[in-house]
Amino acid sequence: MPFLLVAPSLLLVGAFFLFPLLLSVQGAFMGADGPTLAHFRTAFGLYRNDMLVTLLITGCATALIGAGSIAIGGYLTLGGSRRARAVLAWLYRWPLFIPFIVAGQSMRGFLGQNGLMNSALVGAGMPEMWAQSFLDWRGIVITFVWKQLPFATLLIAGAMAAMDRAQIEAAQNLGAGRLRVLLGVVLPQVSRNITVALILSFVTMMGVLSVPLMISGQSPSMLTIPMAWRINSLGDYATANALGVLACLMTGMVAWVWLRQAAAEKAK
Amino acid sequence: MMRRRTLFAALPALAAPLATHPAAAQQRVTLNVMTAGDQNMVDYITDYLGPMFERQNPGVSVRAVGTGAGDSGSQRIWERLEAQRRAGATAVDVDVAVVHQSMAGRMVAEKLLSRYRADISTGALTTAAVASNALGQDVDGYVMPMFNSQVAIAYNPDRVTEVPQTFAALEAWAKAHPKRFGYNGIRGGMAGVGFVFGWTYAFGPDQRLLLEGPFNAEAVRALTPALQRLKAFNANAVITPGNAGTLDALNRGEIDMGPVWMDMFYTWQAEGRLNPSMRLVLPESGLPGQPMYYVIPDKAAHAAAARKFIELATSPQVQADGIVKRFNWLPGIDAQHVRQNLDQATWNRLFRDIGPEQLAQGARPMPQAEFFKAIQEAYERVVLN
Amino acid sequence: MSAWRWLPRILLLVLFAGFIFGPVANLLLWSVAESWYWPNRLPSQYGFRYWERVFRPEGQAMESLGLSIWIAALATLACMAVAIPAAWALARARLPMRGLILLLFLLPQAFPNMPVYINIARVFFSLGLNGTVLGVVLVHAAHGLVYAVWIAAAAFAAVEDDAVLAARNMGAGALTAFRTVTLPLAAPGIAASAIFVFLESLDEFTASFFVGAPDVRTLPLLLYSAAAGGNMQVAAITALILLVPSIVFMAVVQRFLRADVLAGVGK
Repeated sequence: MPFLLVAPSLLLVGAFFLFPLLLSVQGAFMGADGPTLAHFRTAFGLYRNDMLVTLLITGCATALIGAGSIAIGGYLTLGGSRRARAVLAWLYRWPLFIPFIVAGQSMRGFLGQNGLMNSALVGAGMPEMWAQSFLDWRGIVITFVWKQLPFATLLIAGAMAAMDRAQIEAAQNLGAGRLRVLLGVVLPQVSRNITVALILSFVTMMGVLSVPLMISGQSPSMLTIPMAWRINSLGDYATANALGVLACLMTGMVAWVWLRQAAAEKAK
Repeated sequence: MMRRRTLFAALPALAAPLATHPAAAQQRVTLNVMTAGDQNMVDYITDYLGPMFERQNPGVSVRAVGTGAGDSGSQRIWERLEAQRRAGATAVDVDVAVVHQSMAGRMVAEKLLSRYRADISTGALTTAAVASNALGQDVDGYVMPMFNSQVAIAYNPDRVTEVPQTFAALEAWAKAHPKRFGYNGIRGGMAGVGFVFGWTYAFGPDQRLLLEGPFNAEAVRALTPALQRLKAFNANAVITPGNAGTLDALNRGEIDMGPVWMDMFYTWQAEGRLNPSMRLVLPESGLPGQPMYYVIPDKAAHAAAARKFIELATSPQVQADGIVKRFNWLPGIDAQHVRQNLDQATWNRLFRDIGPEQLAQGARPMPQAEFFKAIQEAYERVVLN
Repeated sequence: MSAWRWLPRILLLVLFAGFIFGPVANLLLWSVAESWYWPNRLPSQYGFRYWERVFRPEGQAMESLGLSIWIAALATLACMAVAIPAAWALARARLPMRGLILLLFLLPQAFPNMPVYINIARVFFSLGLNGTVLGVVLVHAAHGLVYAVWIAAAAFAAVEDDAVLAARNMGAGALTAFRTVTLPLAAPGIAASAIFVFLESLDEFTASFFVGAPDVRTLPLLLYSAAAGGNMQVAAITALILLVPSIVFMAVVQRFLRADVLAGVGK
């Protein structure tokens, strides 16, 4: 009976995602004459640096998002000034629903060497020679953090707000500082929510094409770029599919962490 | 939207009477024009050519859709045609397509196009080699050049005092001014790809072989030293996102020099989007240029209207007013037909920075189709790894 | 004394505000910049010329916006119709392989989508679905399911067992209890998940491009071609149009998302 309720949605995902995904996996292994690993050799040979850079960019962005959202969530839960909390709560969520493509477009003019950010900084007294362009991998990281931070914070701050405050107060009564309370009391209880928020952010960022496309033409870049390039300019679906499979494996590892944690929780 | 869908089902039926009875054109017909290339191509059809065609042909509305810059845009169109053929469609929903050379060659070879040039009145107005040969592939009769365009090096005269006239001088300049030269690599549009080709023309052993073929893999390997040199050059260069990205970076003072499409450059200046003091130069060993082709897919739903559309698009008047005067492209049909419709000042504007002789000397085609692809892959292998 | 204590806080908040609003300010400036080039730090000429150009009848901006909203509404409807029963089952019934099922919904978000959409386009051509609103809606719905199912499941999970039990004890059938007790209590969370699906669809680019273009032209497609063509002004204006629904929903989503629901997402 419960399976019947889940079936229609599984059908939707199955027909419009899993099935074409399997076609793509099949394409990655199919050569002109039978199954082959040649496409993976091409993918590794030409794009191993892009794979590393993808992990680096997404990993960096995920770490920053984690730190930022814990800091914001922590302040919203434990912060001393009510007014500062209200301002922060109002501020952080603005980019929540802004599309990646819009984020990329806004950042492009903002982060350039003579972009709005540097112009403002120079206007505020920064020496002009310090102004440098962030339109490279750093720009991609910044854009990702800007766009995903509100989402992660929403989930994490929400979980923190749902906590039982008695424990926090007890710890504070024992004289624990705010940082101690955050690390010792709050974080352990919301660790699962943090994982969910960060995994969702990580996998979302892995698949984004528009941001690296708009921010930087640098190479190596994120895997979506060579994927698009293989398909668009060379009409080479096989290698693109192989790259897709590799990207899928990379996200799969992350998802596995989540599954294992879920299993551990169930065992408790 | 649903209504449009039923309309589509009825399209093949609509198309047949349209061909014979002009009166039947009173039925509402949507002519789908798909164009690869930059946004200016879409603007050209949406703002200029489309409305003109609609005025002349009541009941027809023109819908222009851009499929993206560079060969990838053409690839999208090919995907669409190929998928419809594989699905056994009786009528194709693209009536007119504007594609790059390499893709036009492939589409002709795969019999995706209809042979229409002899059927339109302007077919004889072009005698250029590119009208019958696209990067080594015979496309005679299947294409009409929409315009020609050329890659050149744009620079900021305030910052570049000694303008490099050769690739070697350019290389030296970039070395002396690290991170002040920018181009869009090979993944972001044809201006960057063109620059890479120009580099192999200049520093490779045999320019002529690359241009005319025949293809051999040995010749690609022989380019390795040139590409290694490009790798060293890249260390001092900025890689910009896209054709427009290079112009944008120039405009915002992030670079002082970089390869651009001449037409985009002049258009941006005319619209006030680019610093008017910027200038162009074409190095001696040459940079590639290319035409864009009008093609009609085989089994296009409105083939007759499509032919009429291309007839208008390649008429001397439109080539003069639209292509040259408003969009700063080099004409697709032979120059003598166009010049008589233009005043001297407008004609001269095309040659402001690069005179006709310099252009004749420095303009090259893209490499022959197989080299075209092989050089791009060699770039990935040598320069990016 | 107290002013000094406030200073670091204010400084941090101002910096953070700069980080959040700077890029948006950049969009606003570009949208009214008629001429802006280095070394001018700000536009040298302001005006609404490009706004006129975007909103000219041939520009099809309004048509695209309307179509985008229509597709997003349909995708949300389709998505919620299948997601609500699934979310209920995942939250309240004992499902074997629950984690695996949750993970399945995550896949469309996780996998780099391009090769998938190209394969979908190939399948859709043979079904006559390519270039139709229905085709785009189906793909968007599949893509948005992760939000719909995960958040709605959290919303169902947050409903107190007691309330449902009380209704059952008073003689209500399972369906009646669901309709009169569980659903209304979970409604705000479900609304929030619908918002996520709606916005996800509104902003979606890759699938719309492969499955929809050229017949179905959504606003992100317009934005992409303007941005790729380097028309900063047109791109900025299109981006601002897309920003409006995003910000409206950003403002209201908090009303629907209670902390205890947020705490249960993905659990």
